[in-house]
Amino acid sequence: MFSTELFLQTLISGVMIGVLYALMALGITFIYSIVKMINWSMGEFYMIGSYLQYVLVAYWLGPDLWYLAVPIAAAGVFVLGLALEPILIKPMFRQALERRDEYATVVTIALLLLLRNLAIGLAGPNQYSPGSTLPTVMLGPLPVAGASLAASLCALLAVALFYLILKQSWYGLALRAVAQSRIGAQTAGVDVFRLDQIAFGIGVALAGIAGALLAPVFLVYPANGVVTTVKGFEIIVIGGLGSIPGALIAGVLLGVVESLGAAFVSAPYQNVYGFLLVLLVLLLRPTGLFGERGRQA
Amino acid sequence: MPTLVETRDLSKRFGGLVATNRVSLAIEQGEIRGLIGPNGAGKTTLANLITGIYPPDSGDIRLAGTGIAGLAPHAIARAGLLRSFQVCRIFGNLSVRENLLLPYLARRQGGGSSAEASTRAEEFLAITTLDRLADQPAKRLSGGQRALLQVACGFMVPELKCYVLDEPFAGINPVIKDTIIELILSANRARGVTFLIVSHEMAVMRRLCHRVTVMIEGRVVVEGTLEEVAAHETVIAAYLGKAFV
Amino acid sequence: MNPSKIAIGLIALAGAALPLASVRADDTVKIGLEVPLSQPGDAAAGQLIRRGAELAIEYINTEMGGINGKKAELVVQDSQGRPEVGVAAYRKLATEDKVIGVTGFFHSSVNIAVNEVANEIGVPTIATQASAADITAKHFDIAFRTHAIDPIRVEAFLEFIKKKGYKRISLVAETTDYGIGITEEMVKQNDAGKFGLELQKIGFDHAATDLTPLLLQVKAFKPDLVINIGVGAPLDLMIDQAATIGLLPDTPMLISYDAPVRPQFWQLHPKDGAGIYFIVYYSPKEELSDIAQWLTKAYQAKYNESPIYSNLNGFGDVAILAQAANLAKSTDPKAIVHALETGKFKTWTAAPVTFPRADGVYWHNWSPPILIVQYTKPNQDWRDAELIVQHVGAAH
Repeated sequence: MFSTELFLQTLISGVMIGVLYALMALGITFIYSIVKMINWSMGEFYMIGSYLQYVLVAYWLGPDLWYLAVPIAAAGVFVLGLALEPILIKPMFRQALERRDEYATVVTIALLLLLRNLAIGLAGPNQYSPGSTLPTVMLGPLPVAGASLAASLCALLAVALFYLILKQSWYGLALRAVAQSRIGAQTAGVDVFRLDQIAFGIGVALAGIAGALLAPVFLVYPANGVVTTVKGFEIIVIGGLGSIPGALIAGVLLGVVESLGAAFVSAPYQNVYGFLLVLLVLLLRPTGLFGERGRQA
Repeated sequence: MPTLVETRDLSKRFGGLVATNRVSLAIEQGEIRGLIGPNGAGKTTLANLITGIYPPDSGDIRLAGTGIAGLAPHAIARAGLLRSFQVCRIFGNLSVRENLLLPYLARRQGGGSSAEASTRAEEFLAITTLDRLADQPAKRLSGGQRALLQVACGFMVPELKCYVLDEPFAGINPVIKDTIIELILSANRARGVTFLIVSHEMAVMRRLCHRVTVMIEGRVVVEGTLEEVAAHETVIAAYLGKAFV
Repeated sequence: MNPSKIAIGLIALAGAALPLASVRADDTVKIGLEVPLSQPGDAAAGQLIRRGAELAIEYINTEMGGINGKKAELVVQDSQGRPEVGVAAYRKLATEDKVIGVTGFFHSSVNIAVNEVANEIGVPTIATQASAADITAKHFDIAFRTHAIDPIRVEAFLEFIKKKGYKRISLVAETTDYGIGITEEMVKQNDAGKFGLELQKIGFDHAATDLTPLLLQVKAFKPDLVINIGVGAPLDLMIDQAATIGLLPDTPMLISYDAPVRPQFWQLHPKDGAGIYFIVYYSPKEELSDIAQWLTKAYQAKYNESPIYSNLNGFGDVAILAQAANLAKSTDPKAIVHALETGKFKTWTAAPVTFPRADGVYWHNWSPPILIVQYTKPNQDWRDAELIVQHVGAAH
């Protein structure tokens, strides 16, 4: 069944969810640019963010103050990232700047398993929701849950803030330099290992923000991060590794493609449309829409 | 003048290759020291050891009397020992201005007044005549301009004590070469910056260097003024072949 | 620290954190319980079945005098809701733990896969809450079931639809054996019984979180009834997202199984839960058997709530296996299978359970009745929900 209204509704729905996927992708690509490693456990930090949000809202702040809980949840995930990086990631870098890439995969996947099973053990199998008192809003022809709209808007805000910090602050300058040349940055006096730690913390905090924002929408349970991680990686391939605008645009593109495909082509294959897009990009523009060819720094 | 940078019996091997073999040298404060030698002599390796890119297998490195062997590059940089690279390591996606600001701000770990930083950057933009390109991404610069920018970056750090330059003149045009030479000389005169310059450009080395160290196959063979070492048999043989001795 | 050591350490920790089998003891008769205890399975359901099963062991050992004079022991395995994991778990239970039977099955896809292997190995399985036809329709000797099957469930749906006069039905089903099975059965019975219903069939991946695009299509179809054929998280997401786009509460929604009886339901859907139709497997006014009353007391004492269907059926299945072994006076798998086929067993309902070799999907099958009820007020206890339809499958 096709109608303009249905098309617009699906489009809007896709854009909104795309923005949130983009947040995940941003975290993955950011960590990669700095630490040169793919963090496979991103989804579990999304999950932790969602649990923190639930606990903060359900036991302390209440659903009306959700916007206070989100930064606290994000800070919690940030701190966790800061704590884990020196234990897990830093040992990969021996001898100043060498690195053992294969360990990144093993270590972050092991981390994934650990975090997920800890969650199941501690939190039990049930789904939770912090609940939301935000009213349903009409976005053009589409009725949108207040919490969903808030999530998308806050995600955009987070991306904008992230971009600002990256461009205007000292840490942003140092991070951008490290992303381009670890050796160059070190010999200029930048403590690259400290920045690795901060970058990892920021990257997983972005996933945590997505989880906290989506807690009332997609519910809180131990495996809720799985889907978002996969989408995050798809977006990186589509948008190009290391590109912030790439992550945002590709995120929205993926959200729209999946949404339209599920509504108008065939619903069970919702996830397939994203992969088809990935294949297309790989065929036509392997470095992604905004990616650059890799260069030895 | 007191010794600023000193190495003692510095050795480094890569697999079977001995890159530096018990290299000992001492650079006085305020000196412009040249480091010359045929390809594969271990000059870049020595520069890398001194600036902390990798630790030595054995031997000692001191900066103003304090041991720095095994320290991370950023710690050595913050102690005032900076370097430039043979393959220009500027940050292509940062603007020219941001490239200049980075080492200055890194030294202060982000603190300090941004007004001071900007003023200083403006000075160097003017000196290097890169001010027109100040906000362009550095990857847009020509090869020579990049070399100039890279060298200028080190001078941005007021606490610069010793600057290790690895082939700063390779393949750049005379005008830029002159600008770099001027930067070196004026920093040496006005600020007392010490230099260790690796280069093949003998004419420039004659203009700049007080003394020169010659390395051949990982060892220090001779030290002295450029005239003195140029007359040395082993040096001639190494460069031109034994037939010319 | 060496990175590879860290990785191994983490993996070991992760493995240890997994909920797993109970401690072994010698000289006991073991009964296997295979339930989903972690995602992507419906872990809540698995926990509930497990609770019933554990109390059954207590009952067997204290009230029934054990199995053939020995103590009974429960060996639990997590199927994660995944067929390949379930098959591995069954193998372990049957060959290493040497259980007399494996029960607890909740996910149809797991049960179907396990039964293929069980057919070779010979240790019988009893489906506790798995409803797809193929579980018993293949007529394996080892396959048994004490749950509602798709034909009976769909008969109940159609009775409900006829009673309400609905004509346009949206079937929104997850693409698992469960979801596809119910959808196909609806189509079949609609054609055969000439109900003349207009059916919209929409499938979605069990792991999907964004169901809004397809719910928009459902809304555009303007159905009289939406049947929510999701299990676990998708069930809740569908309710939430349908409410957001205005599909609920205007369009009635029927949940295909008894998830809304769990206390979680009102926590997740405080506003949207009222008006929802759903399934239960016994009426609270029904009189239950004496062993069910034992269970109710024990469950209430231990968990401070009344048992629900999952607990009761989990309890019943383990008790049935014990009774079969006692009847056979043996723990040999073939003897157990024979005993199951020929005996009459006590379970939580007043009427006894038998497993006749009947036709089609009714092979070795016993089904509880299907009741369709509706929550009429927020935070309502399921026992107070309004009864719309009570359907008992015809004897075959």
